[in-house]
Amino acid sequence: MTSNAQQPNRLSQGGRIDRSRKLSFTFNGTRYQGHPGDTLASALLANGVDIVNRSFKYSRPRGIVAAGAAEPNGIVQLGSTEAGQVPNVRATQQALYEGLTARSTNGWPNVQRDLMGLIGKLGGQFMPPGFYYKTFMAPASMWLTYEKYIRKAAGLGRSPNENDPDIYDHRHQHCDVLVVGAGPAGLSAALAAGRAGARVMLVDEQEEMGGSLLSSRENIDDAPATSWVEKTLEELSELEHVTLLPRTTANGYHDHNFVTLHERCTEHLSDLAPSANGRRQVRARLHRVRAGQVVLASGAHERPLVYGGNDVPGNMVASAISTYVRRYGVAPGKRLVLSTSNDHGYRAALDWLEAGREVAAIADARQNPDGELVEQARSKGIRIIAGSAVIEARGEKRVSAAKVAKIDIAGFKVAGPVEELACDTIASSGGFSPVVHLASHTGSRPTWNDDILGFVPSPVKGMTPAGGAHGVYALDKVLEDGVAAGSAAGEACGFSAASVSQPNVKNLREGAAVALYQVPHLKATLRGPKQFVDMQNDVSSAAIEVATREGFESIEHVKRYTALGFGTDQGKLGNINGMAIAARCLGRTIPEVGTTVFRPNYTPVSFGAIVGRHCGELFDPERYTAMHQWHVENGAEFEDVGQWKRPWYFPRKVNGKTETMHEAVSRECSAVREKVGILDASTLGKIDIQGPDAREFLGRVYTNKWAKLAPGRVRYGLMCKDDGMVFDDGTTSCLAENHFLMTTSTGGAATVMEWLEIWHQTEWPELDVYFNSVTDHWATMTVTGPEARKLMSELTDIDLDKDSFKFMDWREGNVAGVPARVFRISFTGELAYEINVQANYAMHVWKKLFAHGDKYGLTPYGTETMHVLRAEKGFIIAGQDTDGSVTPEDLGMHWAIGYDKPNSWIGKRALTRPDTKRTDRKQMVGLKPKDPSVVLEEGAQIVFDPKHAIPMPMKGHVTSSYYSPTLQSGFALAVVKGGHQMMGDTVYLPMADGQVHEAEIVSPIFLDPKGERQNV
Amino acid sequence: MSNAQQFDTRPQGEIPVESPLAYSMQRSGAPKAKAGTKVTMRERPFLGQLTLRGGAIVLDEALREVVGLGLPGEPLGLVQDQAGERSIQWISPDEWLLIVPGGEEFDIERRLREALGDAHFAISNVGGGQTVLELEGEAASEVLKKSVAYDVHPRHFSVGKGVTTVFAKATVILRRPSEERWELVVRRSFADYTYRWLLDAGEEFDIAVEN
Repeated sequence: MTSNAQQPNRLSQGGRIDRSRKLSFTFNGTRYQGHPGDTLASALLANGVDIVNRSFKYSRPRGIVAAGAAEPNGIVQLGSTEAGQVPNVRATQQALYEGLTARSTNGWPNVQRDLMGLIGKLGGQFMPPGFYYKTFMAPASMWLTYEKYIRKAAGLGRSPNENDPDIYDHRHQHCDVLVVGAGPAGLSAALAAGRAGARVMLVDEQEEMGGSLLSSRENIDDAPATSWVEKTLEELSELEHVTLLPRTTANGYHDHNFVTLHERCTEHLSDLAPSANGRRQVRARLHRVRAGQVVLASGAHERPLVYGGNDVPGNMVASAISTYVRRYGVAPGKRLVLSTSNDHGYRAALDWLEAGREVAAIADARQNPDGELVEQARSKGIRIIAGSAVIEARGEKRVSAAKVAKIDIAGFKVAGPVEELACDTIASSGGFSPVVHLASHTGSRPTWNDDILGFVPSPVKGMTPAGGAHGVYALDKVLEDGVAAGSAAGEACGFSAASVSQPNVKNLREGAAVALYQVPHLKATLRGPKQFVDMQNDVSSAAIEVATREGFESIEHVKRYTALGFGTDQGKLGNINGMAIAARCLGRTIPEVGTTVFRPNYTPVSFGAIVGRHCGELFDPERYTAMHQWHVENGAEFEDVGQWKRPWYFPRKVNGKTETMHEAVSRECSAVREKVGILDASTLGKIDIQGPDAREFLGRVYTNKWAKLAPGRVRYGLMCKDDGMVFDDGTTSCLAENHFLMTTSTGGAATVMEWLEIWHQTEWPELDVYFNSVTDHWATMTVTGPEARKLMSELTDIDLDKDSFKFMDWREGNVAGVPARVFRISFTGELAYEINVQANYAMHVWKKLFAHGDKYGLTPYGTETMHVLRAEKGFIIAGQDTDGSVTPEDLGMHWAIGYDKPNSWIGKRALTRPDTKRTDRKQMVGLKPKDPSVVLEEGAQIVFDPKHAIPMPMKGHVTSSYYSPTLQSGFALAVVKGGHQMMGDTVYLPMADGQVHEAEIVSPIFLDPKGERQNV
Repeated sequence: MSNAQQFDTRPQGEIPVESPLAYSMQRSGAPKAKAGTKVTMRERPFLGQLTLRGGAIVLDEALREVVGLGLPGEPLGLVQDQAGERSIQWISPDEWLLIVPGGEEFDIERRLREALGDAHFAISNVGGGQTVLELEGEAASEVLKKSVAYDVHPRHFSVGKGVTTVFAKATVILRRPSEERWELVVRRSFADYTYRWLLDAGEEFDIAVEN
């Protein structure tokens, strides 16, 4: 590592940096020094670092061009550790801190000696727009190979290979007035709205609030503008309802004044967030703001002029020169040539001169420049060449001279002899472009304003532009505009305007600007030196001209063909120039060509901020039952069912070896079939239904009949959507004449609840019935197996006699001393009791069952065993065996359809359509593999003739498939076209690996078809 | 009569009872207050909770008679008795949440059913299905801003208001019974997620958990 402690371009005084402290940092392996208050860009310029990158496509050396968000070249990879790597950081926006480590994102092997540059130089003329599309796309199979090398040569950084140790955060914010940008307009607006009493949020993307005032030459109230900034910020911070958010970028402006902000909390301190008071600190935060009104005070970006060699390091936009000199105390060169189309650009020359540097000349495109700033420059003896422009910058790794010539703007040609002026820095100003990006996010296309030669935001409901973003540039007018916008926004939120006196600012007489974008050269655009429009994406004026010649007339097509304004750049510096060039080539005006759409985000947002704390174990809610802790402690493997964590199976340790899932499930299945098992069924949805019309309502939402279900009885029900397709099932118990308890599938609980409410509220409001979710109130444990009654008898006062408490009855009583409703329903086909107790007592009951159950071989089982057991009985699972295209008849459940019910019910009409009556629909059957050791794949396709030429007609598919320890065979449920009439037939399942399984179509009820085991 | 089945879920004897957060506090811990603690969380478990559905006028009359507290006068309203032990919160145009000291709910439900007679209404006991979390302290509203989409600024969320809103990726009933205290009525199965979220979101304010 080499060291360079010099800061040759640092001015001895001025700027808002702290010269008493030094910060060391590393760029591309070299150590440098800067000061607190610097950005990485200002520190690099202070150290005389000209080349910060190689360009994306042509690999040309590039230097810092701008001073803020618009910077196209100074894009670096940040991070001194692997976990701290951050790509895509603009050096102009990154505050300097001790130990900062940055690298260029492009350049191989390095930016100084770049091999790709050679190719770019040699191949440049052979790399027209669309080069990659045209050259590398064929043959398609080779793209992967090309891509590897193209990516190596071009790219904008890399993501870290280690987990990010930092924490991030979201905040939901609400305010009356959100002010975006804390320059003169934003500060005035915030003050006006804040004094009126509105809840104001003032956000600014920079390290310090103040915007252009931080580098302004002008005085406010006869003092430097920065003292007004300080005074205003002080007042704002004292207002109770005003929130100030520095280092916060408004990145997205969405519908209904929903604005997303990206706050960088610690990224000005170090790579990774330092801890504070022994506690982790949030590194970055995403604010989700709902604003009553938005004041868009995002300022304006200065447009550079487009001339030959305008990308050679040493070319900068004029206002950036002022910012580096006045705010950072850096003069990034010795001798300046300024090329301008307006008065504003003169500030750069004046600031440069005051910094003790030399101004070679000002090339002013206007014939008779005459504003006050022009006068100041003249009086200081600066040479002004009227009616001219820099037509070409000379130099390779740094500007060495500027070619200046008279130009004929209307004729788009050079109109006089070329003079070559020695210089190392060229500043250019083509006027300002209001930062309309945020307004455009809402879908509003900006409007061209000929007076300011720029696009201004079109009206957006609830948004007021102010200052530069509004196309207002003179400081006194900007302050006025800010106050007006802030007051109007406050008033729109119901706060009467407070008085804000206009500070005293000298009005500068301004000469009219001239419209100049692309500067003519002696040679035609396609033959002359490259004139860059979008430096980040390496788009030149020639590329745009080629695009229009190739027939791309829409600016959206030109953009896509050339990559103009792509990606993170979003056209901040180049878009308007690009449109102007397209307009010239097409013989249209700029408003006729129009703009492309700016999209969120304005500048890149870190993934951490987007994710917030929704990661790791908080990524998604985990819903637990009341017995969850027991399951964990007893080694359950869990399955996600919706958001619930359900025990999947309970592997045991046998001889020091943990059971496989297959072993555990076999053991659990046998326990239920031979002894007794227990399942935590608390996750089933439970809906409490009350009202005199409850019974009628059930009759309309279920396919089967409910008129005669007596209190104390339970019935299975099938629910269809109005298209006649099954969407959920479950049991419903009659608790009292007007009171029912419905159960739903675990995953379907919320959907069913909504379904009931929708039909009640929109179709049958006349029915007196209410629905309340009681899913979480009750914990449910299913005790099932031949020994279930014996176990229950030890713990309950309920009469368990098989004739008084029959299958499909429910009874209330105490279980283990806790009041319980016990339901004799069975999803296993065995004798079963479903015990429901208030959830807070459930753990006690569960443990008591185990205390008494040991001698009966009580075995906890999970969802996998539950699936096997229910499938052996042919019980469906809605959503597994059905997919929204299966009718109750397809399932062979004609017994659960009440076609003769007096009232219609949901799905009835659809079930009488010819299509739902077809006999060749996919129908539910059982499949028995010919080889009992085969467990068919769920989803496997079924064919009737395995010898049929491909494509074989597919006749069905497997919906559920398991190995049954009871049957000692694999078995499956499937849907097969016309399957109900194919009992005993053989079907075939060709697999991807070439095997073809054979299976016999059988009844889906594999075990105990008469239901004798559950009726005992 | 409503002809519904009322069921007293509370056992007579001494039966061990577990709040929805019993496991969470054990697993995720319950940090003690520190010098810098700016927000404190507290569970109020085992309260009696009844969901009331029906017409406002009849319910209001019955509640005044049985609980001595009428329905809140407007949507998003929360009323409570002097001691703050019994409260009624508007949930939707025909739904209110009544919270009372644990053990009172069965008798209150019985008396409400009597008082309501033939009116069309529903009362569902939901006490086992939800628990109440309190947040208190100067940073309580900051923690809420990280968690709920609803505006908790005092101008927008005054004392005596309650809403059902999004909480991270779940929902909660959020209410403000007093200036300094917020209550979150949380569904049992989401309680652990809510608890862990609050511990995480409260870390920067040295969140403490009181039992």
